[in-house]
Amino acid sequence: MAAASWICLLLPLASAVAITLAGTAIPRRSTGYISTATTMGAFAAAVVAFADMAGKGASDRGAATTSWTWLSAGPYHFGLTLLTDQLSIVMMLIVTGVGSLIIAYSVGYMDGEDEERRFFAYMSLFVFSMLLLVQGGNLLLLLAGWGMVGLSSYLLIGYYQERESAVKAAKKAFVMNAFGDATMALALFLLVQHTGKLDYAGVFAASPHGGAVANLIALGLLGGAVAKSAQIPLHTWLPDAMEGPTPVSALIHAATMVTAGVYLIARCHPLFENAYVIADLAAGLGAATLLMAGLIALVQTDIKRVIAYSTMSQIGYMFVGAGLGAYPNAMFHLMTHAFFKALLFLAAGIAIHAVAGEQDIRKLAGVGKLMPFTKWVFLVGSLALVGIFPFAGFFSKDAIIAAALDRGWYGDVIYAACLAGAFLTGVYAFRLFFIVFTGEPSAFAREHFHSHRDQEGPISMLWTVGMLGVLSVVGGLIQFAPIWHLLSTWLDPVDAPIAEATSAQEWVTSALAILIGLAGIGVAWAMYAAKRVRVPRSVPLFEKKFYWDELYDLIWYRTGDLVARGFYALVEAPLIGGSIAAVTGVVGLGSRELSVAQNGLVRSYALALAGGLAVLTVVFLAVR
Amino acid sequence: MHGPDIQWYVVLSALLFTTGALGVMLRRNPLIILLSVEIMLNSANLLLIAMSRLHGGEDGQIFAISVMAVAASEVVVGLGLIVAMGRRNVDLDVDKLRTLRG
Amino acid sequence: MANFLVWVVWLFAAFACLASALAVVSFSNPFYSALALIGNLASLAVLYLLLSGEFVAAGQVLVYGGAVMVMFLFVIAYLGDRHDESPWSGGPSWQVFGAILAGGAILAEVCVVVGLKAGGLLSKPKHIGRSFGSPEALGRAFLTDHLLAFEVTSIVLLVAAVGGVVLGSHARQEPEADARA
Repeated sequence: MAAASWICLLLPLASAVAITLAGTAIPRRSTGYISTATTMGAFAAAVVAFADMAGKGASDRGAATTSWTWLSAGPYHFGLTLLTDQLSIVMMLIVTGVGSLIIAYSVGYMDGEDEERRFFAYMSLFVFSMLLLVQGGNLLLLLAGWGMVGLSSYLLIGYYQERESAVKAAKKAFVMNAFGDATMALALFLLVQHTGKLDYAGVFAASPHGGAVANLIALGLLGGAVAKSAQIPLHTWLPDAMEGPTPVSALIHAATMVTAGVYLIARCHPLFENAYVIADLAAGLGAATLLMAGLIALVQTDIKRVIAYSTMSQIGYMFVGAGLGAYPNAMFHLMTHAFFKALLFLAAGIAIHAVAGEQDIRKLAGVGKLMPFTKWVFLVGSLALVGIFPFAGFFSKDAIIAAALDRGWYGDVIYAACLAGAFLTGVYAFRLFFIVFTGEPSAFAREHFHSHRDQEGPISMLWTVGMLGVLSVVGGLIQFAPIWHLLSTWLDPVDAPIAEATSAQEWVTSALAILIGLAGIGVAWAMYAAKRVRVPRSVPLFEKKFYWDELYDLIWYRTGDLVARGFYALVEAPLIGGSIAAVTGVVGLGSRELSVAQNGLVRSYALALAGGLAVLTVVFLAVR
Repeated sequence: MHGPDIQWYVVLSALLFTTGALGVMLRRNPLIILLSVEIMLNSANLLLIAMSRLHGGEDGQIFAISVMAVAASEVVVGLGLIVAMGRRNVDLDVDKLRTLRG
Repeated sequence: MANFLVWVVWLFAAFACLASALAVVSFSNPFYSALALIGNLASLAVLYLLLSGEFVAAGQVLVYGGAVMVMFLFVIAYLGDRHDESPWSGGPSWQVFGAILAGGAILAEVCVVVGLKAGGLLSKPKHIGRSFGSPEALGRAFLTDHLLAFEVTSIVLLVAAVGGVVLGSHARQEPEADARA
């Protein structure tokens, strides 16, 4: 099993290195095949490791292998340790499984791009980084993976380097993530200071229970999680990240990277249980984000941005689950979300690809009539998103919502927020579906639609989307909370939940959620499909994304600009420039004054001689 | 024979030297400057003779005679230069010779 | 009586010396300055006599007065009577002030040295014999102890003579050199 874990980790790295070194020697398409093959190989290795693990007893499934001591400083030793336990194998399977499907899809999507090789090298690099993050056996490796996924995200968002908006979005994502990285690093410093270790077992055993230090540690980790998972207040980078190609949005900003925050909370749950205030804060932030993102998604006109805000909202659900302590539920939703969100993005990508790269839903309107396959898979994905039985989202989302009832009045508030969010999800998801995929095609769509050899898109795009559609249908069936819990049982030794709903609460919540979801779909149908109800005028608050960007511009950019200008005016110009100018001024002044003595007159020189004689005489008299 | 002590000769020599120096520094005509230089040389001669008398040896007087010879040579050269200036119709004014101005 | 006479002669000679020196420096006509210098040289010769330097006094009159001053007067006559309207002006503003200051400083220092530092050294001249300062004594000193000085001085005089001839010569190309310069 250890060998399988190492292979799983290193295959994508090998692919990235090979593609980079091969350069232009191999044809562009081959890089896509290399990348896909290695990611599928990694998936196979993960399956092998999983099978091996499943054969063992529940308590000795985890295994940590260390290849060598990576960092050794004084009494602190950190090894290059891979931890393969129940939680990390789940993540590994998701990352490599969904990842290989998405990379296979991009072989068709990115066909013909000039820089295709660079794309696949970065994608392989990302898969490696994400695997390092989930397989890391100590927090140091996790942080290393954390930073590297941020790097890969930056490289891939800014893939279209000539576009200024893409470059700016990449920088924005990176800077916000760097803020999260910094808070995480501070948390790690505190951990080292108080426990002397960074490996999970040691840290969980030795970290302080409650008190300011525990809160600070948890807060630092939460900061990193919030940045990576695009929750309030570090969420503004995610919509802009849609500047990257659609497969990137699917893989990084839907299925895997943005869920790393949830994984972090699930993995370090003892630290969060020691600081329950912070855990409650996480749940609160998740609830606020899911409502806000839902409201904003109601008025967006870019298809990818709607799905991006949907991602933000769904991760809010996961944060609610993880913050309240229902870790297996959060991980379950992570898994199903990976399926249906990737499905939605990739299906949108087929539509975008077919209509000359257009992403505005008003221009894409009605394209479903021209692309029936895409319409049906998008419908499947939307139903899974809203959480309608029997699609995947139903099982996972309702479990989280129900678990909120186990946490007192605070949980009850969050419960209400989650149900409201479910309504919003129904509205915005089906608004998107009805506008883009039903009704008559718009003039633009009709004019620019081009099929790919009589199919809606390249075959690689179609079969991968089909696979994801199947997963979105059946993926939820591994756990239905009141009745059977395969995933919870699997994760129990590692990640025991501290909030669990009773069966009755689960049934009630599921019924409520379906009804509310259907109500949302009904509203959307009435407005956009049947056009019986007039669409209300759009609210500027939602359109301006709740003015977060403007707020940050004011706080960070303008203040920074002001401070810089202030320093320039007060310090740099007078002190630094002034001191240099003073030096030159003094030198110039001195030489100008001294040059008066060089007036060329013999008599002045004679005077100088006489004066010197007088002075020297005095000196000799004094010395003697 | 008595008379003034040697220090009076020294003071007189100093006064002569100062007068000559003032002439060098304050006059513009090169001829007058040369004459002032002569005065300074003579003041040094006076001092040498006085010291020779004080110590009772002739060395001072020997030195004074050499100084006289050198002064004569210097006057020859200086007057030659002044004559050359005059022949080229340059004004006899040292302030006009400012090419070495810094 | 003899002491009194010596003092009178000394005062007279000293006064003449200083007055003629001041006259040299202050006349605007160089001819008058040269004549005043002759007076200066003569009074100095008297002072040398008082110091028992007979040969030097004679040499002073002959060489300085007879040769150097004659040269001066010839050149002044040759160059014409160019006397400055304002002999003391010109130059930078601090020249006069600086000159007086420097000169005064030197004078003051000498007086300080003589008064304070020299002690009583200058009051006790050595006893000298009759042949002190005579041509015979000086000649012997020149040709025995100070032979090198004697020879070097004669070379200097030779060089000066050659230089004077060179500086004063009329080269045929001079006018063109002037025009080109």
